[in-house]
Amino acid sequence: MVLGAVPGRVAVLTDALEQFRSLGVTVRVACTFDPDKIPAAADLAELHLLPTAKELGPRFGRMVKRASPARRPWLRAQRDPWVRRHAKRADVLVALDQQALHTVWQLAHRYRRADAVFGLAPALRAVEKRSADPARYRRPRLTTLGPSPLLAVNNTRSQTIDLAKVVLDAATGQKAMRLGAVRWFWQRAVAAPGVPERYRGKIARRVNTSMHRAGHKASANQLALAAQGRLKSNTTKGHLLGPIVEAELNQGKVPVHLMTVAKGQLAAADAFLKKRNPGKAAPHVLRAFDLMFHRIAHFDGVTSPLAEDPEGFLAPLHGSKVGQAMATPRGRRAPAQFPPADRPHRMLFFTGLNDNFLAPILERYEAMPDVQVRRLNLVEESIRPVLSNGRTNLVHHMLAGTSKRAEEVAEAWGEHLAWADTVFVDWCNLPAAMLTTIDPGTTRVIVRLHSFEAFSWWPHLADWSRVDDLVFVSEHLRDLTLAAVPRLRAPQGPRTHVVSNAMELHRYAGPKTGDARFTLGLIGLSSLAKDPRWALAVLRELRKRDERYRLKLIGDDLRASLSPAVRAYVAELDRELAELESSGAVIRTGRTEDVRGALTDVGVILSTSVRESFHCGLVEGAASGAVPVVRDWPFFAGRQHSARSLFPSDWVVGTPEEAAERILAVTASEDGWREAGQAAASHVLSTWDWSVTQKDFDRLLLEPPATAG
Amino acid sequence: MNNGRNLWDSLKLPRARRSGSRPHMIYLAIGFPPAAKSCAYRMRETANQFAAAGWDVTAVTIIDEAWEREYGLDHTLAAGVDSRVRVVKLPLVRDDLETDIRAFSETRALAHKDYLAQLRKRNLKVFPEPVFGGWRPALEKALVQIHRDKPADLLVTTCAPYVNLAATWKLWETHQVPYVVDFRDGWSVDVINNGEAFPKESVSGQWEIKLLTNAIAIWNVNEPISRWYRERYPELAHKMRVVRNGYDASSIPAQARPVTPDRPLTFGYLGALNLPVPLLDAVLQGWRTARAEDPALKDARFEVRGHIGAAWARGDNAHAELLKAAAADGVVVGGSVPKAEVIDLYARWDAVVLMVTGGRYMTSGKVYEYMATGLPVVSAHEADHDASTVLSTYPLWTGAVGLDPAELAGAFRRAAAFALNATEADREKARAEAKQYAREAQLIPAVQEVTELVHGTGGRTGTPPVSPAGAARVLAREGRS
Repeated sequence: MVLGAVPGRVAVLTDALEQFRSLGVTVRVACTFDPDKIPAAADLAELHLLPTAKELGPRFGRMVKRASPARRPWLRAQRDPWVRRHAKRADVLVALDQQALHTVWQLAHRYRRADAVFGLAPALRAVEKRSADPARYRRPRLTTLGPSPLLAVNNTRSQTIDLAKVVLDAATGQKAMRLGAVRWFWQRAVAAPGVPERYRGKIARRVNTSMHRAGHKASANQLALAAQGRLKSNTTKGHLLGPIVEAELNQGKVPVHLMTVAKGQLAAADAFLKKRNPGKAAPHVLRAFDLMFHRIAHFDGVTSPLAEDPEGFLAPLHGSKVGQAMATPRGRRAPAQFPPADRPHRMLFFTGLNDNFLAPILERYEAMPDVQVRRLNLVEESIRPVLSNGRTNLVHHMLAGTSKRAEEVAEAWGEHLAWADTVFVDWCNLPAAMLTTIDPGTTRVIVRLHSFEAFSWWPHLADWSRVDDLVFVSEHLRDLTLAAVPRLRAPQGPRTHVVSNAMELHRYAGPKTGDARFTLGLIGLSSLAKDPRWALAVLRELRKRDERYRLKLIGDDLRASLSPAVRAYVAELDRELAELESSGAVIRTGRTEDVRGALTDVGVILSTSVRESFHCGLVEGAASGAVPVVRDWPFFAGRQHSARSLFPSDWVVGTPEEAAERILAVTASEDGWREAGQAAASHVLSTWDWSVTQKDFDRLLLEPPATAG
Repeated sequence: MNNGRNLWDSLKLPRARRSGSRPHMIYLAIGFPPAAKSCAYRMRETANQFAAAGWDVTAVTIIDEAWEREYGLDHTLAAGVDSRVRVVKLPLVRDDLETDIRAFSETRALAHKDYLAQLRKRNLKVFPEPVFGGWRPALEKALVQIHRDKPADLLVTTCAPYVNLAATWKLWETHQVPYVVDFRDGWSVDVINNGEAFPKESVSGQWEIKLLTNAIAIWNVNEPISRWYRERYPELAHKMRVVRNGYDASSIPAQARPVTPDRPLTFGYLGALNLPVPLLDAVLQGWRTARAEDPALKDARFEVRGHIGAAWARGDNAHAELLKAAAADGVVVGGSVPKAEVIDLYARWDAVVLMVTGGRYMTSGKVYEYMATGLPVVSAHEADHDASTVLSTYPLWTGAVGLDPAELAGAFRRAAAFALNATEADREKARAEAKQYAREAQLIPAVQEVTELVHGTGGRTGTPPVSPAGAARVLAREGRS
């Protein structure tokens, strides 16, 4: 008998051994473990430990390490004279567990006189059968003489395979990659036509890894690029191109193969999801998100593939199984109910993480007698844990359809939700997505999306069937988001609205100094999307004609440490500023709390951004009496909705030259400039001042929702 | 798995009998005697009753070697099969139960679990049943060949295995042979976990609805399962019939052994030990407590008889280990019992222990036999169980107390009190309660109904849908609509 593992059922074993003894059977048991672990069997059978790796020497040890665990017991038994001696004389060979099967299979094909069975009961039956007709088994037969021919065939085959493996391992290993000729050979071999996909993929991956380990990254990249053209598997392509994409992102470049690697990650996630293993699928989804929504691709450049073609760019996500799983609407048991008229409207606001745009709204409804406002401070100790490691937990939840985290959210937020008639979540990011992991009951859920969220994974991690209203601050953001997140347009999706930011613009109105006419202003510089270099281009154009023009930059400087792309931009910006600042053409005020004061000497307010949802800074400047000049934000330019549809058409320009022309025209005379400034101020105050836009908020929050989106 | 393709070509069918005008019925019953399985009792009685009702019966099962791999053979069971029943044994075996290591490939010897997983995957591609799906081609071919050899007027197919349905469909598709599905425990109902085993839209769901739609009758073993199907397929409700498993009178001793105070009591369990391990553990714990605490159970024995595990795990699984470890508590494990010897077993027991898995959809066959013995019954199953419904009027029942060991200990004590105090009148009353569940009493009306349905069509082969008049008559008699 062979035991490959310590038996879990010792009573059964000893009972069987007793039965064998009563039948007059001599039992010998070869164990892969210390026989002392089954003392109860020691009196009933001869127990023998197979030689250990220590006894068989280091060479054997290395061989055992290389072998699959299933082969290891046989490697030990093969070298054991005790096993050979007793197996040769045995009448019945028995595998007592699955780990012993291969050893007994090998013995059975060498010593063919014996029965070879799996399990105690079959062993007893074999003994009984032999006892019933001993003469039959004594007769020598051709089929039981010598080892089985099958064994010779198997051995030859496995030795050939082993040899081939050794040769291939050597030829594709790290050492071989030190030779230029070998690297050259593999670069061509992996791209050769006619190589089956699975071999091409396996070899390319191994050689690629070996080249990296050997320090030949350039060769590895060349090999990856050569192989990917011939490969079909997204997973393999992603694996090969991953390091290249990573390196390019680290250099601040948008990689050509960014989406190939992202598709590879999604394919790997799909494979795990198919095996109903959302836990293993989740890391691949997260990696795909990291790539698809990388800041280098969308935030740290003046273009974005997502803005250019939202449907096309995100098609791999929406087409993947994981994408579809995350888009599955879980719905709510009951529709949201508008509060009864006989009690105050209970509003719950999520606060604490970023309340920059919330203050006037909170102030208004907290002052209303027929509204009760409660703030759920998300940074509070009792609430914060449910947001920790939020993105990972959300992905797990969305893939599995359920999670412990959702229960924790229900426990932490459930009471507040049950109290509220309406919950308002500013920013469509983690708290909003986390809220949708639970059924909100009859509470109406309103989420506001500003801008950056549309370029992030957050809208893809929210269950929109549990959100009643999604508020945008501009039409062009709504267009982009609806294109990027198709399930927002599904029947179970939320109603969508465009409501401007709550801005108390009248606070910015004030007198202008005389020299303000030639001072351009730009508020907010902390992100690359503001593109202050465009403002410098405008300034240069102006100063070619009139050196009185200067530029005032209000706000924190752009931090070079954000990314390599930002670093490169800042380097260029600093180079340009060095020249202009020294001549007094550019003034940097840094961050100021007194924006109104800083605007006193600004006569022209600029919006030079590549993307904006609304650009409050521009509108604040216009409210102060400065003449607005708005770049046609490139991310949205040419679309149905853009800066041109948001602002009066004469404010918007396409190029720095056009901007300079507009500025020269409106500042040509003191009166003309003041008149244009007054007109702009009048427009913004009558359109976007909180005294006007609060009515839109009241309609949204205090009136029963209309059915149309 | 050996799907029989190679062996099938050389299969010699038993010669079909020439029997005048008797209609021919094929009974697809994998598990037919001599298989030592509990389903064999119902199959034997079904075949015998059809033969008695004037049918030439061809029972189709698989070769004896296949059963030797599983739970073994019981030739005493085969002895009770009506001599007019022709038995065809198909050369099909379960490869997953193979224990001859020389028959293994090296790949299987190296990765047995992976091999079994692959085997199941392959089987599922053929038919949505992981263990038996691969038998589909052989079964289809067999039924068609049997029909060609001797045209069938009726096919009665009994599941499990459900792959039988594929062969049934084949015969219906190719030769329009009307069929009855003896669904026993059903398919889409999960009798263990009390719910849906698969949705209607699944592959299995499509097979089920297709088969049931065209069946002339559908049998189930209890009312809850029948209700499940009536609710799932309301349009087929008129075809549903409850045919309980019942008991064989020949296995029941005429009288119970008298209990004397000086003789220790013997409790018994008879049946395959394919229960959840925690259930068996709870019973043994309850037994240990009761035996230690109740003087009436001093030196009492608990005799457990039946199959434990199959193939390489026969007698070598967690159940066996638990039972052997309980030897000190008077638990005796005695292996399986030939059907003919069951009567002697009950004759020496003073009470029986009904260990059954599942819940409201599960009844089990042994509950009827236990009741017929007139012995006290200890229930070890969920409280919400169909066995409770059957036993509710049985006077010597300890009640369904769930699976808490302390509660079970109480049940053992109550059973001991019943065993010591019950009068012959009590026992007679208990036995009388079971009479309604005699196996033939369950099967005769069902067989008659089918016979009338088929005869109502008036033709032997190529039988079109059943005559509405005949069907309505039978249904009206059964008090169903």
